Amino acid sequence: MIVTVTLNPSVDKVYWVDSLPMCDTTQEVFLTRAKRSATSAGGKGVNMSVFFSQMGLENVAMGFVGGHTGHVVVRDLRDREVTTNFVWTREETRTNVTVLERRGETVVPMLINEPGPTISPSDLDRLIRRYRRMLHRAEWVVLAGSLPQGVDDGIYARLTEMAHDAGVRVILSAYGDALERGICAHPYIVKPDTREHRVLMGVELSSREAIIEAGRKVVGSGAGMAIISHEVTGDIVVAEEAAWEITTSVSTRQFRNVVGADDIFLAGIVYKLVRGESVENALRYGFAAGIASAECDERVCSNAEQIQEELTRAAVKRIEREGE
Amino acid sequence: MKVREIMTRDLTAVEPDVPVRELIFIFENAEVPNMPVVNEDGMLIGFISEKDLIRAALPGYFEMLHSASFIPDMNQLARKLTQIADDPIEKYMSRDVHYVTEEDDDLRAADLVIRKGVKNLPVVDENGYLVGRVRRIDLLRHFL
Repeated sequence: MIVTVTLNPSVDKVYWVDSLPMCDTTQEVFLTRAKRSATSAGGKGVNMSVFFSQMGLENVAMGFVGGHTGHVVVRDLRDREVTTNFVWTREETRTNVTVLERRGETVVPMLINEPGPTISPSDLDRLIRRYRRMLHRAEWVVLAGSLPQGVDDGIYARLTEMAHDAGVRVILSAYGDALERGICAHPYIVKPDTREHRVLMGVELSSREAIIEAGRKVVGSGAGMAIISHEVTGDIVVAEEAAWEITTSVSTRQFRNVVGADDIFLAGIVYKLVRGESVENALRYGFAAGIASAECDERVCSNAEQIQEELTRAAVKRIEREGE
Repeated sequence: MKVREIMTRDLTAVEPDVPVRELIFIFENAEVPNMPVVNEDGMLIGFISEKDLIRAALPGYFEMLHSASFIPDMNQLARKLTQIADDPIEKYMSRDVHYVTEEDDDLRAADLVIRKGVKNLPVVDENGYLVGRVRRIDLLRHFL
């Protein structure tokens, strides 16, 4: 079983618009009508759980939820056949808004993410207790996403250590101090969220070489593997035994909704690793699943045919060390 | 049809040492009237409902009365509830739990819900781990 922990899940509201005019105060009309909209549960671990359930992989989604929006999250996950085990808090779950604007042939996303509720020490105690309980039944744990207010940056390190004590493998996808402190607890896979923070282990992720260097630092700190976004259509993976570059020939013009595609990339990798496939196969499959999701309006694409089609376009190339 | 095909896959549960005060908070926020009680491994060991808490806060002779209007002072209930607020819920939970397994059929779940008058039933796997619950609404939706 896989346990996904999303400490700061969200209700994700997506609007599709033809254009999003920038308004100034001299304008009297600043109404933008959406062509359509969609509401779903969101958050990194939550997205991964939805993928796992659609692929028939037993998983449980954990984290904090509260208020009306918390019920929206839980209801949506249950409708998607995800098993839930959330801790209920007094404050409301956040709402994140995505506006997808069509500009010519491309779709440009704009995201507004709320900070999320403040978590009390007793809420956190409840979560830790439930997490410990779930570790008895888990083989893999995914710790993913931003932290709500009131939760210490050391939480991912603590949850990783607890998982290791129970003999459970950890996947960590986060950013900032929470990520770097988590890396020190030696998770099996590290996937930095580089949307806002392009610095990892003191290295600015400005070039392919810098990404490889940062990846080697992550692995040198005890993580099993680092997966770092290079370009929209390319990622670099560094492990102790090797490094790989994954690319696709797909044009970004085909992308319809890139939000969450990164999470599906990681979910696809875990899905294949859980089934005992090689790292290279898992990387190729995950990448294809992520690209297929970027090509869908829906956040999570688990259409086997579409993923299969993307598999033919994905290439995994081994990066040789200098002098080898 | 098997229970696993109609159940709600939710593992929300409490441990026996959770205080009554915290359980009321969970009932209120999760909007559920009752909850399975599990041990540290996640195995079903009890069940507790709002009704159990109200019963615990009422005088012992309440069940002999024909109506709640015979209770001389409702503040008595409030005082008693305050007194037990920090008690562990294991003092008030049912240990004789009505439950179904994932492999039971829908008819057994419906039979238990009707005969025992419960709003939902915990569902366990073959090892006794809590894996979800069957709500009355799950059955109604399923049979429609």
